[in-house]
Parts: sequence; C-alpha cells; structure tokens
Amino acid sequence: MRRRAFLSAMLASATMPGASWADAGSPAFLAAAREPSGAFALFGLSATGQDLFRIPLPARGHAAAAHPVAPEAVAFARRPGAFALVIDCASGQLRARLDAPAGRHFYGHGAYLDGGEILVTSENGIETGAGVLGLWARSEGYRRIGEIPSGGVGPHEILALPGEVLAVANGGIRTHPERGRDKLNLASMRPNLAYVSLSGGIEEVVELEPDLHHASIRHLAAEGGQVAFAMQWQGDLPDPAPLLGLHRRGAAPVLCSAEMGEQMSMDGYAGSVAMDARHVAITSPRGGRVHVFDRQGRFVRAVLRADVCGIATGACGLVVTDGQGGIAALDPDLAPLARAARAWDNHLVRLGG
Amino acid sequence: MRHLSLVACLAALLAGPATAGTDDALDRHVLPAMETFAEETADLSRTAAAGCGAEALRPAYHAAFDAWMGISHLRFGPLETGGRALAIGFWPDTRGFVARSVNGLLQDADPVVSDPEGFAEVSVAGRGLFALERLLFEGDEVLADDSYACAYIRAVATDLARTGQALQADWSDHAALMRSAGEDGNTVYLSPREAEQALYTALITGLEFTGDQRLGRPLGTFDRPRPTRAEARRSGRSLRNVGLSLEALRGLARSLSDVPIPQTEAAFADALSVAEGLDDPVLADPAGRLKVEILQQRVELVKTAVAAEIGAALGLSTGFNATDGD
Repeated sequence: MRRRAFLSAMLASATMPGASWADAGSPAFLAAAREPSGAFALFGLSATGQDLFRIPLPARGHAAAAHPVAPEAVAFARRPGAFALVIDCASGQLRARLDAPAGRHFYGHGAYLDGGEILVTSENGIETGAGVLGLWARSEGYRRIGEIPSGGVGPHEILALPGEVLAVANGGIRTHPERGRDKLNLASMRPNLAYVSLSGGIEEVVELEPDLHHASIRHLAAEGGQVAFAMQWQGDLPDPAPLLGLHRRGAAPVLCSAEMGEQMSMDGYAGSVAMDARHVAITSPRGGRVHVFDRQGRFVRAVLRADVCGIATGACGLVVTDGQGGIAALDPDLAPLARAARAWDNHLVRLGG
Repeated sequence: MRHLSLVACLAALLAGPATAGTDDALDRHVLPAMETFAEETADLSRTAAAGCGAEALRPAYHAAFDAWMGISHLRFGPLETGGRALAIGFWPDTRGFVARSVNGLLQDADPVVSDPEGFAEVSVAGRGLFALERLLFEGDEVLADDSYACAYIRAVATDLARTGQALQADWSDHAALMRSAGEDGNTVYLSPREAEQALYTALITGLEFTGDQRLGRPLGTFDRPRPTRAEARRSGRSLRNVGLSLEALRGLARSLSDVPIPQTEAAFADALSVAEGLDDPVLADPAGRLKVEILQQRVELVKTAVAAEIGAALGLSTGFNATDGD
C-alpha cells in the first residue's frame, strides 16, 4: 500500500497532474499508419474507428504499448530497432526517448507492469542471442533500471496478465542487427510461450512438439485466464501447420486449425491475434483473411478481407484494420466502421485491457 | 484533426462509380475466363462420362488445365472461398499430399467416388487437376469403364465441372459487388480503389507465382536443381503453364489500364518470346537452365514494368502488411 502511494506521488510529479486517457479523447484503440504522402503517424481511435488524435512518427513503427492510466504510448521502431518513443498523446509531445543499451536492440513490443510504473520491452541480447526483457522506470523519466531473461530466443510480443505476470512470445528466431532480419538459426529454432514475473523469474515455459519448432510464436492475446498465441511458419510449409494455440497455466496447449484448404490459404502466417469472451481470431494479411475460432479452439469461420492485419477487442466486439484503410467489426459479418485514406500497420492496440 | 468531424469520415466512405479499369477487367478478362473454365470443365465431365479412354480424356484434361491457367491468378473473392483454388489446382504440393490422397482412395477403393456430394468433401489434395493428372498419366494406359480408377476420374471431372459452374455463378454476383464498389451496403469493396486494388494485387501476385513457383521451384539452386518440382510435369505442361499464365496476366494488365502501356507490352512480349524459344517442356533440361533463369528474370522485369506503368498510374502498390509483416 505504501509502495502504491509512493508510486502515485511519483507518477503525479512525472506528468500533468491527473492526466488520463480522457485528455486524449478516450481512445479505444491505438494504431500506426502510413498516410498517402508516405508519412507515418500514430492514431487514437474511438470504439467505432473514428480518429481522435494523430501524432506524426519519424518512420514506420511496429506496435505501440499503451500506459494503463496516463495518456502515454510507446511507439517502437521496426525491428531491429535501436529506439522507442514515449509520446504524450494528449499534447502530441515527445515525453522520452528510449535507447536500447549497448548489446541490445528492441523487437518491437512492450507492456506495462505495476500499474504503469514499469515498462517492459522485448529485446535481443545480441552477442548470445538470448532474449531479454528490458525494464524502465516511468517515474524516473523512463530510466533503464534492469533486465531479466525472457525465457527464450527472439522475444516478440509481451502481454501483462493479472497478477503482475507477463506472457512472452519467444519467437525462437535468432537475428543479428548487422544481418538485418536474416534468420540465423532456422535449423535449431525452438520457440516458446513463457510466463515471467519480476519477482519469480521464468515461471512456466510452454514448448510445442519438435515437428512444430518452425512455428515461430510471435503474438499474444489473453482473456479469462486463457492465453492465445499466434504463429508464423518458417520455411517450406508443412501444409496445414497450425497458426494458433490456446493455453491455460499448468495445462497442455491446444492447437487450432481450420480444414486443410482454409488452413493453407493463411499462407503459414498469422499477423495478429485477439480474443473476446466467445471467440479468438487470427489475421493473415498474406492470405487476405481472418480465421475465427471458439474459445475451445474449434474453427468457426473465415472472413475475407485483403491485407487485413490489425485486430483487437473493443465495444464493437472484435475489430480489424487493414492496409487499405478499413476498420471493420467482425460480427455479425464483416461490418465496415470507418475508412480512411491510409494504410493501417500490423497491429491494432486496445486500451484499458 | 483531434476532433475530426463526422462529415470528413463520411466523405471518405462515399465514393463515385467504379472506374473503367474495373469494368474492363471484368468484361474483357475475368468473366470470359470464368466462362471458358466452366465450359471446359463441363466438357471434361461429359468426356469422362462417355468413357475413360486416355486418348479422348487427355485432350479434355489439357483443355480444362489451359482454362485453369486463364483464372488461376484471380485469387480473391469466389476462387478464395471454401478452398476452391486448392480443390482445382493443389500445387505446389510440398509434402506429396496429392500422391497420398490419390493412392489412399485407389487402395481402399473408397466408395466416396460414386457420391458427388461426398466427393466434394474429400481432401482438396485428392481432387482437382493434379489428382486427375496422376490418374491419366501415371496409371494404366487403358482403363476399363467399370474400373475403380475410371469411377474416380469421373468423380474428379464432375467435381471440377461443379466448381466451374459455381465459380461462374458466384462471379456474376462478385462482379456486381466490384462494379458497385463504394456504394451503400457494399461491405466488401468500400471504395472503387479497393476493387482496382484486388485486381492489381492479382496481377502482381500472379507474376510472382509464375516467376518464383512455376519457374523457381524446378530451378532450385545451381548446385541442386529440382526438376521433379515442376508444375504438371507428368502431363508435360510445365512450360505451357508458364506461357499461358503470362498470356492471361497480360490480358489482365491490358484491361486494367485506360492508357497505352508500352513498357508492360514490351516486357510481356519479351518474356513470352523467351518462353517460346525454350525447347524444354518440363523445365528439366540441365543445358536449358540458363534460359529458364533468363525467363525468370524477364518475368521479374514484367513485374517492374507493371508496377511502374499501371501501379503508378492507378496509385496502387501491393499489400502494405501482406508484403512486409513482422
């Protein structure tokens, strides 16, 4: 309790007193986009996909991490990224710039712990290839305060779960910044889903069978004690490779596939995943489709949409964004909410969840 | 911008009529090609019903395959629904699923072949042109009309004809959707640009498929060429497919553009003349490797010309996320 009070005081000193997401128009989602001019920007969107704010970005971003309370978003450069920008979404001003320390680079995702006091970033330990979670103290101007192992190689998305536990998608692919996005260990890659906490370290590691070691676990969603992990197949497709898994702590993962023709049409690639009370869905921009499953992992249906990639849960149920500027609700059928002349980037980030 | 007006958002949703590009592509390219595919698969089905003699069936198979090359690049809408593209042409088949499915049915003499509805539920790898190729070009030369293999051939032909008919019917609806792109109630194409984008993406990915897969798979690497990976090599039509797919893609390119496209025309002519000069029907001749590589490079140049001339004029490029994920 005392710690909480202390943190609140620090928080207040670090930002505009009482500033909240309401000061940025109470967005339901954040998403980055390329505009027709070729410039990039971060947008705050309402639950129905209307623009609430627009903040220019210096380059194409990857995902954003949203602070749970204050109107702050961390925009990550595309991997291998050396920096991330903390943006005050109420004023549009830059609050902090995070530079990866020597020997580390960002992998494009982050999450907040401890009520928003600690930002956690997925990083590459460049020399050894071991995955690292970088820790940054918000109340100290996002000073780097340490790091812990991610529990695997190539951590990508990380997600804060209830109870100060992180789910980490260790994609398994070793890269080196001097080699760009070249994959250096395809023959030996071993992706996993790890549960990590600051107090207990690596609490649980979930690995799939050896014949699925080329399925890079990259993106995550969580709801009601269940974690969904989305995968990207590396190399020649073993035809119907599963691209989605569901997991509960302590249990074996459940792998989810559609029938062969549909499954192959995903092209071995899931770009994002989201989950609500009833459904879990993955997007494939390469396959131009969304696959919807129930929470037991049974395939429900495919929804076709060219270049679809971002997906998140909101007041309109599952919402998808695409490279043609569309924002649409998945239920009951693909229902367009808004359209703008811009290309939405990989991820649609949900706020307050 | 912070409080973008509703009017601005609505304005983005409203749009004018479909452009000439979409109409022309539908009328001159997509719909006639779908009609041809429906006709040729219907003919194949009639031929199979009359008997399983290879000399009558092989030409009907080739005609249906030729027609498939006319539509195989149109991988959106009806062809992408319910795994249809794979149920017609299961290729590339990286794990030998076609052989496994065909042999499985043959060994078990699975009675599903005499039940058209049941057969439509058979694995996509056990149906379509590549299953038929195995049956017509790998099995016995003479098949009795009452043999299991003949019943299987008839089931595949019937299934292809049914798919051809369904595609043609669905495309008449889908064409209406593309023509009404951006109008109220059209939730598939939110603007005319999206309809053009679908056609343009089909053109570019079709060129990539022919270059990377139809030519690239058998080429393999210099140290390890992979001739057994050539498309439809059993029926000797790997190179033929390359030529026909380029002709189909040229038809789509021509119909998409309102203005002359001299660079694109020249690039297609160049690629097609290299293909015609190749005396290597299944892309397996080690001495011809250099020529196949040249052809692959010419196909790449077609893509460059299309992007520069048609993509730039329409303000289109290929998928933002599809081509650069993470």
